Amino acid sequence: MRAFPSFKTSRLFATATLLSLFLGCSNMTPEKTLYQRLGSAEGVANITELFILEIARDERVIAYFEDSNVQRFREKFIEHLCMITDGPCEYSGDTMVDIHVGMNVTEGAFTAIVEDLIEAMTKADVAIGTQNQVLDRLARLRPEIIYL
Amino acid sequence: MQVYLKIVVTSILLLSSLAIADTRIKGTGGVSSISGSGGGGIIPWATLGGLATQDQSSMTGFISRADVDDFTLDVKGLAVNLNNRVEFSLARQDFTIKANDAQISQNKYGLKVKVAGDLIFGQLPQVSVGIEGNSLRDPETARAVGARDDDGIDVYVSAAKAWIDGPFHRTSMLNLNVRSTRANQFGLLGYGGDDQDRQLMIEAAAAMFVTRSLAIGIEYRQKADNLSALIEEDASDVFIAWFPNKHLSLTAAYVRLGDIAGAPNQNGFYFSLQGAL
Ligand code: HEM
Repeated sequence: MRAFPSFKTSRLFATATLLSLFLGCSNMTPEKTLYQRLGSAEGVANITELFILEIARDERVIAYFEDSNVQRFREKFIEHLCMITDGPCEYSGDTMVDIHVGMNVTEGAFTAIVEDLIEAMTKADVAIGTQNQVLDRLARLRPEIIYL
Repeated sequence: MQVYLKIVVTSILLLSSLAIADTRIKGTGGVSSISGSGGGGIIPWATLGGLATQDQSSMTGFISRADVDDFTLDVKGLAVNLNNRVEFSLARQDFTIKANDAQISQNKYGLKVKVAGDLIFGQLPQVSVGIEGNSLRDPETARAVGARDDDGIDVYVSAAKAWIDGPFHRTSMLNLNVRSTRANQFGLLGYGGDDQDRQLMIEAAAAMFVTRSLAIGIEYRQKADNLSALIEEDASDVFIAWFPNKHLSLTAAYVRLGDIAGAPNQNGFYFSLQGAL
């Protein structure tokens, strides 16, 4: 009985491990940006469309959007989502504070919007890990949005 | 029993005056711990139970059973969460010794107040301070083994932090408690002993949402060893919690409770069903 692999087999192992590491490295492509993982321009537009549909049927938040121009929201939100996911866009809308000031967005309304976006990304088949990276970036904006 | 009914009726009345809350992200209210307070299973967490945010209130109810080698522990309880700031909890624990079917019952009353921070947002962890009142209904065993009192008060400070984009890009949470306690075996064997009395104990938990509805995690609870006649050991568990929707959760765990009243290596399964409004 041999409890441990012989020197020979363990050296074989080490060589194989090194080799696979090396091959793994040479195969590595630069990591995709978050924007690309959302499906680039098409993906971000699709997510935004699904997001608007979610908001439209979300009784917890729809009142906030009563007088909004959907066309403008769509356009600016796409730019914004593109920008914060490292996409090649210039956001031309107003600052988060300027937009949301006076709306008195509650903590609950913010969570509701986050859930609507989760729902939209899920319907767009965005992987959960990618979703969480997007949500993490949006969560940082919360102090610029709620209770203003 | 009558007290119990009264509590249930009062709670239902209270509930009907609360707006149904549904604006907290699924799972972030955690589940119900064996003391009735929101948490994991064997320890409370800094999170308050239910789905309330600062503009709302909510309520949770649960039943659970731990079945280890020589004992079972059945718990049922309720908690009310006011504005995600204050949580009142009640629980009834029935501990059964399998060998002779003897039972030890205990009532738990809890108050937990969120004092700072937020679980998910911002830099600060959510910090809560809690107090647990315990009263033994069957104190004979506790007295026989040398406990000083039938009831006792625990005070704890709890901090929890979740990262939306945690390890493996999964939403993850850490929780740490420091508890001042005199309890012997969660209070089922009374409070204080001939060896030691009030002490500070550490409790910890880590959890991860593998999917939006499935969380896994581990918990650890340091326990004092106050009675010279018996050995008491730390408790731990590994759990999986399923949140089919915002109002329901089902938790299964493997618990290790160590030596209980002379019976060593008490391991087994724990199940808990929680409803939240
Ligand atoms: C991280 C979360 C959020 C982000 C990134 C975000 C982003 C945006 C953007 C880019 C616009 C368009 C800006 C423009 O027109 O110049 C917008 C508009 C708007 N947002 Fe938000 N928002 C967030 C959360 C919320 C929440 C929680 C509410 C309320 C429930 C809300 C309510 C609105 C409304 C009503 C408009 C339209 C304003 C108008 O018509 O003038 N937003 N938001």
